[in-house]
Amino acid sequence: MIAFENVGKRYGGRFEALSHLSFSVGRGEMVFLTGHSGAGKSSLLRLIMRLERPSRGRVVVAGHDIARLHASQVPFYRRQIGVVFQDHQLLFDRSIFHNVALPLEIQGASPREVARRVRASLDKVGLLHRERALPIELSGGEQQRVGIARAVVNKPSLLLADEPTGNLDPQLSADIMALFEDFNRIGTTVMIASHDLALITRLRHRMLRLSDGRLVADEGAQ
Amino acid sequence: MTTPRKPATTPRRGARPTRRAAPAAAARAPKPALSSTQWGSRFRAWARHHKAMAIDSVRRLLRYPIGSLLTMLAIAIALVLPAALWLTLSSARLLDAELDDSATLTVYLQSRIDTAQAGRVEQAVAAEPAVKTTRLITAAQGMADFQQALGLEDALDGLEDNPLPASIVVTPASVAPEAMQALSGRLEALSGVDEVRVDLAWVERLRHLAELGQRVTLALGVLFGLGVLLVVGNTIRLAVESRRREIEVVMLIGATHAFVRRPFLYSGAWYGLGGGLLALGLLTLGGRWLALPVQALAASYGAGFSLPALGIGGSTILLSCSTLLGWLGAWVAVTRHLASIKPR
Repeated sequence: MIAFENVGKRYGGRFEALSHLSFSVGRGEMVFLTGHSGAGKSSLLRLIMRLERPSRGRVVVAGHDIARLHASQVPFYRRQIGVVFQDHQLLFDRSIFHNVALPLEIQGASPREVARRVRASLDKVGLLHRERALPIELSGGEQQRVGIARAVVNKPSLLLADEPTGNLDPQLSADIMALFEDFNRIGTTVMIASHDLALITRLRHRMLRLSDGRLVADEGAQ
Repeated sequence: MTTPRKPATTPRRGARPTRRAAPAAAARAPKPALSSTQWGSRFRAWARHHKAMAIDSVRRLLRYPIGSLLTMLAIAIALVLPAALWLTLSSARLLDAELDDSATLTVYLQSRIDTAQAGRVEQAVAAEPAVKTTRLITAAQGMADFQQALGLEDALDGLEDNPLPASIVVTPASVAPEAMQALSGRLEALSGVDEVRVDLAWVERLRHLAELGQRVTLALGVLFGLGVLLVVGNTIRLAVESRRREIEVVMLIGATHAFVRRPFLYSGAWYGLGGGLLALGLLTLGGRWLALPVQALAASYGAGFSLPALGIGGSTILLSCSTLLGWLGAWVAVTRHLASIKPR
């Protein structure tokens, strides 16, 4: 699903965020990405989302060499990836329903299809009863679940999450991780960047550990 | 940028990929194409989004009615001046066309000639092959016309002798300047003729004036059209800035530039259309306001003249132009701005 081949990423010509990074993630795998802040976790996710291009090496996601995607193809590429952000990136001027509906509206799904899938997605994260609420009326944990609902509403084959439990207490964090495991169980490839080592070691999934932009450990590979 | 490496060995199979499906050809490994929908449903989705954005953009305009109205008013004012000039020009063009037919020579007879002699001179003039028609204006008739046209009856009643000579208005067969010059030379040589005046110069002058008017209108039209672009562009730039976060988020989850641009293009078009309608209103009001004095002025010269109106054709052109300008202004503003918005 994801293949990094000797990837390097420099910013501003000097600072090397990633270097000599090689690994691959199979279809349907669940992988944690860990390391101290500044180790390159976010840079790695940004490469997969094609917000950046590698300075060196090759990044292939779902068969697409991301450096060779034309700008006009990038939107269609991104629709295959669901992304959960640490700060949710919800739009505060519209209801939960319309936030979750956004990816489907972008893809041009019919209103009936949108309603059906948004409700299924909200139901999955346990927020169906809040569909009319505005994001501001929700707690941090609930907002994060809305973010997850939006990320999975168009059934992406790859789900990325950047510190999805960053601001949550341990119990909520465990709930969120359980949700990701559910999606992984139905075949979605999941990659989660997190520095909450206590939580993720308990979950016993494959763990990629980054340090100073290098891969220092690849543990628990199946 | 992407490296244009050619896949040297792997031949592309099947039909040539469409633009949107092109990523299927961009990488070599087997994978799902980057577009899944059929053309029919894609078109329906496209039309649905257009409709949604058209309505949504109206709603956004109505949310700030005063601000929207001010923008439209600025557009309207920028449109009124060239439109009014164009109207004036179109009426001048009408006069011009009339003048084309009335390209005439006026043959002034010597003042001592009486009416019978004048009749003989007219026959001589009419005998010229280059003359199409003639019309004799006797001294008395000329005086009467003069009095009527200028409303100077009282003043001229004081004159004992009629100072005006008899004249013959000649419509030539050809209005070419050389032909008229030659004809005027021949007519001047006839006995009893005092002077021949060629009115062609006035026709020419008016034509030059019309040309000048056209160019001034065009220049002003372009200038004020640019003004409309700037007004709409600036308004849309602010709108884009205020929705920056939303744009970043939708681009993160796979919105195309066209999708992001659409609501703003509709806003721009609505601003343009609103401005055009206001301009039409202003032109009508202005026309009404000027109609009375213009008619009174024309009546005092014994002429029937009314201000030209835009009509259905002109209104359609004005509204299409303003809508198009609004759309274009928005397009330029959003496109310039989108380049600077990168999802974080």
